[in-house]
Amino acid sequence: MNTCPENVLELMNHYLDGDLNPSEEQQLKEHLESCPDCREQYQALSKTVAFVQSASHIQAPSDFVQKTMERLPKERQRAGVQR
Amino acid sequence: MDALVNKRIAKVIKGDQNAFAEIVELYQHQLYQVCFRMLGNKQEAEDIAQEAFMRAYVNIHTFDQNRKFSTWLYRIATNLCIDRIRKKKPDYHLDAEVRGTEGLNMYSKIANEDELPEEELMRMEVQERVQYEISRLPDKYRAAIVLKYIEELPLAEISEILDLPLGTVKTRIHRGREALRKQLSNL
Repeated sequence: MNTCPENVLELMNHYLDGDLNPSEEQQLKEHLESCPDCREQYQALSKTVAFVQSASHIQAPSDFVQKTMERLPKERQRAGVQR
Repeated sequence: MDALVNKRIAKVIKGDQNAFAEIVELYQHQLYQVCFRMLGNKQEAEDIAQEAFMRAYVNIHTFDQNRKFSTWLYRIATNLCIDRIRKKKPDYHLDAEVRGTEGLNMYSKIANEDELPEEELMRMEVQERVQYEISRLPDKYRAAIVLKYIEELPLAEISEILDLPLGTVKTRIHRGREALRKQLSNL
């Protein structure tokens, strides 16, 4: 017997985006409490998000600004021919 | 922040390169990070992030100062990253949808074929694993996921950076999350 609302995955996704209104949120929560399969799926999705967010912040190498500036064209390109 | 940046932009337009160095200083880490997460390689990330700044410099007069400068920069950088990713792929009809897999195309198929053996995955450090899993995402989803969860940008801004309607951005994030969930099912 499958009693899952058709849109349950959609509800989970919108919930994770922070897009659910309180009544939809209530609907999702009640369903997750009663349905182990959906609960597991929801937990896996939020674990996935936490996993990606555990990526550490990365800094550019210390000589990045200098190297970038060296790559710029020496003179600003202007419309028209100079000299 | 934007007012300060616009002041510097005005100086750059007048030919002051030092003012541009200050702009690079401000945004270097954000831009390098997004390139690194998209490309998974430090040398390439550095190269593409520098290229993005270079293009921003050359085209700075086209930037609309009523908009957010970081959005414009991110857009240049993500486009360059996506180009680079596509150039690295072998020459199939990559955009063609794979039959019976709604929304999936050859990019995703190739990505899945890159899977490492289980014992190798188990040996990976968490940080290495995160990057590996992001790298396996099809580039369409990868950009949206990186901007949302690594750069932590609002969806509206991601939609501007990727030049896609908000609904499409959400769909890509949903599919990206779902793809990651499947990739991580053995974790």
